[in-house]
Amino acid sequence: MYYPEPISKLIDSFTKLPGIGPKTAVRLAFFVLNMKEDDVLDFAKALVSAKRELTHCTNCGHITDQDPCSICQDTQRDEALVCVVQDPKDVIAMEKMKEFNGRYHVLHGAISPMDGIGPEDINVPSLINRLKDESIKELILATNPNIEGEATAMYISRLVKPSGLKITRIAHGLPMGGDLEYADEVTLSKALEGRREL
Amino acid sequence: MATSKNDLLTYASSFRMSKGSEQARKGNPMFIKELKLKNYRNYDVMTIPFDDKINVIIGENAQGKTNLMEAIYVLAFTKSHRTSKDKELIQWDQEYATIEGIIEKRKQTFPLHIQLSTKGKKAKLNHLEQRRLSDYIGALNVVMFAPEDLTLVKGSPQVRRRFIDMEIGQIQPIYIYHLGQYLKILKQRNHLLKQLQRNKTNDQALLEVMTEQLIEHAAIIVEKRFRFLKLLRTLAIPIHKGISRGLETLYIRYQATIDVEEEDDRTKIAQVYQEAFKKHLQKEIERGTTLLGPHRDDLVFFVNEKDVQTYGSQGQQRTTALSIKLAEIDLIYNEVGDYPVLLLDDVLSELDDYRQSHLLDTIEGKVQTFVSTTSVDGIHHHTLNKAEIFTVDKGKIKHAKRG
Repeated sequence: MYYPEPISKLIDSFTKLPGIGPKTAVRLAFFVLNMKEDDVLDFAKALVSAKRELTHCTNCGHITDQDPCSICQDTQRDEALVCVVQDPKDVIAMEKMKEFNGRYHVLHGAISPMDGIGPEDINVPSLINRLKDESIKELILATNPNIEGEATAMYISRLVKPSGLKITRIAHGLPMGGDLEYADEVTLSKALEGRREL
Repeated sequence: MATSKNDLLTYASSFRMSKGSEQARKGNPMFIKELKLKNYRNYDVMTIPFDDKINVIIGENAQGKTNLMEAIYVLAFTKSHRTSKDKELIQWDQEYATIEGIIEKRKQTFPLHIQLSTKGKKAKLNHLEQRRLSDYIGALNVVMFAPEDLTLVKGSPQVRRRFIDMEIGQIQPIYIYHLGQYLKILKQRNHLLKQLQRNKTNDQALLEVMTEQLIEHAAIIVEKRFRFLKLLRTLAIPIHKGISRGLETLYIRYQATIDVEEEDDRTKIAQVYQEAFKKHLQKEIERGTTLLGPHRDDLVFFVNEKDVQTYGSQGQQRTTALSIKLAEIDLIYNEVGDYPVLLLDDVLSELDDYRQSHLLDTIEGKVQTFVSTTSVDGIHHHTLNKAEIFTVDKGKIKHAKRG
């Protein structure tokens, strides 16, 4: 009520962003007032186009500005290998690695009955359809190593196993370049469980 | 400061670090030489030296006996056994409270310092602030026996599960992880069962997945509880026998929702769970909740083969609870290498002469003990002769007699 309407609307919009409280929102809004007009316009355009021009790839569910996405269109990639992840951000993380040359399937979440999320509410049905159509030979389950991610991986594996497809789960354990003595007990016991012969 | 679960985790790891060599273990009791309180509950400013054996604190009701016991507890664990609100520990109208103790352990003397304020708390070990609780807790080990501890025998299964979980958690941090995971999966599974019950879904495959996840952790929890119980029992039975003049025999049994034996390992336990869950599938869906698992297990105490909770007298229940607590002293000694300080809050006068002297004989010379009581009448004169006696009156403590 102390602010003129345009700025109070702006403050309100900033508050909707994650991690932004009322005070930060006020600071950001006043910062915008002092920005160059061109920069503000670019900012506004970027916001709108991110929302309007990005869709989910109908094949893998990754965010994209063209459908199917560039990864699904890339013929250089190994179509027999599909990595299942929970979130588009996970695809970006995998891509940064530049080691994985297969394709992805983004679930957009994990199974959690507590939050009313069942297998149908995430991209599990579309994954099953892909398995029917494409010549996929191996499914890498890279969901998060927590209860929901683990349940999702186990569920998919149970569903797909009868088809005779190779199903793998990414390893859990020690981070590289770290010291053994600083690892927590849980990670350490998982690392011990997943040890391999040299 | 960290959350309570993390506290436990870190607390437990601190135990291991402080494990001493065999030589250091023998004959060096840990004790509180001196205690200083400022603005703590009903104490303004107070400094009091303690004896390394038995300290008896006498006072009328509501004078500050339990507060003094609590202060020692807080000094050890950085939190109270009575309340989770640190603010309550600070004297009314004051900004902060401090507790300082001079500890002697393995012939070394060092101060412990806790500052409680409305903004948070600071813990200093040997003048250095410890940011991680794990680096602080474990410097002073304390076992407390208060009237509330009777609920261990008399109370609901929840009290006993909490006891067993806390104790194992102190020794084995990874237990807390499995327990936490188990409870999360349980919540998820119960939601799914409710959805199945109301026909909102018919996904049996998902239920199977969650059952499998649940069993993985359940089997580990039950296995670890069995191992712990075996240890506790070997320590508690002889203590109980002593306190009851050899007339009574204590036995503790772990009562699981499934048919497992104490010697079973996690693989065997998991197998039994798998079969049991298959059998209970329909029933679980009808009821919409998980019917099997360690969250429904219990400890049963027997004296002379009779269930103490149902058939035991008040005295038998008290002796049982006391034996368990005293076994904790040895358990800590085995794990850490030092005897803890024992706090007996308002319980000694409830024991008869024989039980008292037996109790004091068991701890004699190795455990510094604090006893609070309303009057000396109920206390064995033999004990009094050897003890330092303090009187508490309206938040003032006085040294009444040297032992």
